Amino acid sequence: MSDSYLRFWGVRGSYAAPHETHLGVGGNTSCVEIRSGEHLLVCDGGTGIISLGEELITQHALRELLVVFTHYHWDHICGLPFFQPAFSPDWKIKFFGPGDTAQDIEQRLSDQMKAPYFPVEIGTWMANIEYLDPRARGLTHGPIGVSYYNVHHPGVTYGYRIHVAGKSVVYVSDNEVQFLKTSIAKRIHEFDADEHELLERMVSEQRFSEVSAIEGVDILVHDAQYTPHDYNRKRGWGHSCYVDTVNLAIDAKVGCLYLYHHDPTYDDEQVAAIHRDCLQIIHERKSSMACHVAREGMKIPL
Amino acid sequence: MQTVKPIIVLVDDSAAMRAFFEQVAVEAELLFFAYASAEESLSFLATRQPSLLFLNVMMPTKDGYSFLKELRRNDLHATTPTVMISSKDYAQDRTAAKELGVLEFVAKPISKKAIRLLIEKYVGPASGCP
Repeated sequence: MSDSYLRFWGVRGSYAAPHETHLGVGGNTSCVEIRSGEHLLVCDGGTGIISLGEELITQHALRELLVVFTHYHWDHICGLPFFQPAFSPDWKIKFFGPGDTAQDIEQRLSDQMKAPYFPVEIGTWMANIEYLDPRARGLTHGPIGVSYYNVHHPGVTYGYRIHVAGKSVVYVSDNEVQFLKTSIAKRIHEFDADEHELLERMVSEQRFSEVSAIEGVDILVHDAQYTPHDYNRKRGWGHSCYVDTVNLAIDAKVGCLYLYHHDPTYDDEQVAAIHRDCLQIIHERKSSMACHVAREGMKIPL
Repeated sequence: MQTVKPIIVLVDDSAAMRAFFEQVAVEAELLFFAYASAEESLSFLATRQPSLLFLNVMMPTKDGYSFLKELRRNDLHATTPTVMISSKDYAQDRTAAKELGVLEFVAKPISKKAIRLLIEKYVGPASGCP
């Protein structure tokens, strides 16, 4: 096994789904570990970070990590109050995410650890905690380079571009692909004929922006939460239909797509059906892109 | 007596959206300034207050919320009338915009007619507004 790898600790969207029928895929919410030697980057702190913390606390080689948050919806931060390294004095933890100041990040993380919602506050964290300035356009954590861009989800939400071990990885847990295109289609009757050309340009701009953000990356971990049927009912909830995700990844010539942020109501068979359909789309479009279901515990050498 | 024309500023990375506004501005003979990013718009906004500012939320560099927070800290823009525009038609975004004191949050796409109506609503009829 390479000393650089990506490991999924939580792959569910919205809320944890610890049901027997779901455990082939996994029930924990968003958390991905990216390791390069003695350097550890964690993407999001959903319930998956709890198990990661339990493993980290048993080893001695590593005592420092960087956690980056895509945003602060509960399914991305709710594991932090149970993250054991934060309560250990010999650990150093850096946090980064959307905000205008380092204090913004601290406040957003601390707000969920207050009475009556939680028995102890972040003041009980004994680790050396550092909140990084959110205005930094790029970060480095040892050999791991990190930058971010804004994605289509409620509030300010980031996608992360990560360079590690000579590979490019993009992590986009929550993103509603093609939203403007469908908004235009729904409201086209409001526009005069002479405006249609500009509307087409807006659609092209959106597509260019979506594609260029992930173009040619080796690994894309991307929101693929809904089936077409459910997306029709949940359009505007900030998540993608898997059909749009896989087509975007093909257009962007991604090397390998991991379907992520699985809907908590989908059992293993429903997620497997989504995967089969993605493979069919890839086949029909004559793409060579690899595509897998992100499963809890899956470890990918980099 | 000379009429003072209202000044309209748009900050939006979408060239197509800027073109929608430019067509309205030409037809209505407005004083109009368009910028592709928050950073670019400071060439105007650092020293001047528009009659109405249209500000996009999701942009490649600084997002509309962070930029408006910065502007609000400047006395010149503490009350600058602002309409937030975005492809993100989400309740959380409408709330964030409201907390920054915007006049309105308008979801894209926005027709030329809707742009004209917004300008008329907040700065009054411009000379050439049909």
